[in-house]
Amino acid sequence: MVIEKEEEKISTLLEDLTSLESYARDLFSFLPLPVCLASSIGIILEVNPAFENITGYNIEEIIGKPIEDILVKKEFEELAKETLEKGFVRAKELIIFTKEKKEIPTSVSTILRKSEEGEVIGYFVGLFDLSDIKKTEKDLKSAQIALLNMLEDVEEARGRAEEEKNKTVAIINNFTDGLLVFDPENKLSLVNPQAEKIFNIKQRDMINRSIQELKTFPTVEPLALILFKEIKDIFRKEVQIKENLVIEVSSVPILRGEEKLGNLIILHDITREKLVEKMKTEFVSISAHQLRTPLSAIKWTIRMLLDGDLGAITLEQRDFLEKTYRSNEKMINLINSLLDVTRIEEGRYLYKPVLTEIEPICQFVIKSYEDEIKRKNITVDFKKPEKRIPKIVMDVEKIKLAIQNLLDNAIRYTPPGGKVTIVLKRGKKEVEFSIKDSGVGVPKDQQARIFTRFFRGANVMRMDTEGSGLGLYIVKNIIEAHGGKTRFESEEGKGTTFYFTLPIKEEFTEFLKEF
Amino acid sequence: MNQELNQETVKKIMEAKGEVRGVTLKTDMEFILKEKGEEGLKKLEDELEKLGQLIKFHEIKTMDFYPIGLRAVSLLAIKKVFGFDDEKIKEIGLFATKTTLIIKLFVRYFLSVQRVFMKEAPRLWAKHYTVGELNTVELNEEKKYGIIRLKNINVHPIVCCYLEGYFCGILHLIIKSSRINSQESKCTFRGDEYHEYLLKWE
Repeated sequence: MVIEKEEEKISTLLEDLTSLESYARDLFSFLPLPVCLASSIGIILEVNPAFENITGYNIEEIIGKPIEDILVKKEFEELAKETLEKGFVRAKELIIFTKEKKEIPTSVSTILRKSEEGEVIGYFVGLFDLSDIKKTEKDLKSAQIALLNMLEDVEEARGRAEEEKNKTVAIINNFTDGLLVFDPENKLSLVNPQAEKIFNIKQRDMINRSIQELKTFPTVEPLALILFKEIKDIFRKEVQIKENLVIEVSSVPILRGEEKLGNLIILHDITREKLVEKMKTEFVSISAHQLRTPLSAIKWTIRMLLDGDLGAITLEQRDFLEKTYRSNEKMINLINSLLDVTRIEEGRYLYKPVLTEIEPICQFVIKSYEDEIKRKNITVDFKKPEKRIPKIVMDVEKIKLAIQNLLDNAIRYTPPGGKVTIVLKRGKKEVEFSIKDSGVGVPKDQQARIFTRFFRGANVMRMDTEGSGLGLYIVKNIIEAHGGKTRFESEEGKGTTFYFTLPIKEEFTEFLKEF
Repeated sequence: MNQELNQETVKKIMEAKGEVRGVTLKTDMEFILKEKGEEGLKKLEDELEKLGQLIKFHEIKTMDFYPIGLRAVSLLAIKKVFGFDDEKIKEIGLFATKTTLIIKLFVRYFLSVQRVFMKEAPRLWAKHYTVGELNTVELNEEKKYGIIRLKNINVHPIVCCYLEGYFCGILHLIIKSSRINSQESKCTFRGDEYHEYLLKWE
């Protein structure tokens, strides 16, 4: 009975021992942290599966192996020494070597194991794989370095930008022209000292104001009127800011690629040029008036002599007098042209606008050249549109003069037997006049200057000494004063076609409002 | 030695006196699982059943005692089923030292070569087997060898082979050397009075 009870107890103890073993084994196997048990002389006696994984050795290979096979010997010795001294080591960073000789950074912890008698029987070694942390640290370090480099670059770029900005500011501040910059919302964002001087307003009073707001300053008002609400592109438009101050305004958009960053307004002081020009025009005007009076007296005196009012003259005397008369006429015409130019330049040329038809004016001018056309045996063809051309507001005398100048040129520079074609066309908003000749044409290299004062083509000057070089300048100014445009096409030796357009009533009415 | 393994021969082996701890059979199981998997273990159990020994390895209690004959029969069945040679049987012995619970419990006493040979070896034997005595005859640490003697146990020569590996494994746990060897120099099955093992290391 006693034996049976003892056997029963032993059986229970064995079962408990087996369960305990299973529990210890499961616990050890479950641990995700690599753990090993090393003997006091550093032989690996036990490892868990996580330790097998990290080292790459299987259990049979690793058990019985000296621990320094997976650690640097010197580091292991220090670790063992520290463990023996302190009883433990916490989180010491060491490199371990795998079976494949791969280095893995780990954090190693140890704890000393002693027998009941206090003898050191070994120690547990726990590893924590730092590979991911180290990689993250490395990535962070790289990112930090990259960031610092970027910051350095940014700082450098900022320095350069600052330097550039300072340069630009210096240029703007020292620029002899006034400069205004409007932002995309049409608010003034920059005023240079020269512009302050032009308007006699401090920068701080103008900055951040819209054009409408700026209009309240009397000196800015004339400029605001031409800039309108939305700033439009302007090229060299003259504006009188105040007495004795005329500026030439140009507006250019500030673009960065497709994006519009605002508008730059350049204010160039042309007061002095205007004064010189005015003095010159006045001089020409006075001179011309002073010359015209004696020339008129000469004209009428010669006329009286030619008409026999002062007695009979010989044929030879007549011949001389006629030549003198013609020369005098040319002189008078030149002076008249010069007076027209001075009036144009003084802005007092257009003074009799009436609503009328252009066709009869063309007919009249052609008729006035009938004798010359016959003399040179030139065919003049006048083509009118089938539909009636509407009336146009114009200064009849001036338009007549413009057509006359164009026809005069066409006949003058077309050789005998040539052809001149005049065409009137109605456009949507304007009437177009063109006159085509089969004359000498304008040399290509001189075409850009054709509408400037005193311009005469080199080929024309060789063949014809007459002509003042003012005709086309007058034509252009007459047409532009009517709100029209002039242009031409020419080929040397083949002929030239001049065109001008005049706006039909509505447009012209609008145009006149500007004056 | 190479007598045919059948129920008759097994019955004779099983007549041997003494018992062995279940842990030694468990380490056989772990070796087979590692090498051949569950399928291999099943084959082994089938073979043992054919030999008249119904053993379910998973149910063996590590610390319980089983007839000492099973120590030999298990190894003989392994050898037969998987065609293992003596070296492989020796490997099973070596493997056992690295996985057996008894060694894990015993390593606390593996403080020096001297202590293991002189004091712990007989105790370690007694932890596994109820018969036989293990003693150290000679230990020369300078010349790096030791002789141990095993008396009063005669199960089967395959156990001698297994023990060669087992002693070798124990040495691995106490000596830092990559070249350790053990060899049975005397054996009762060769006419000697006892078994003797020469253990050498470099």
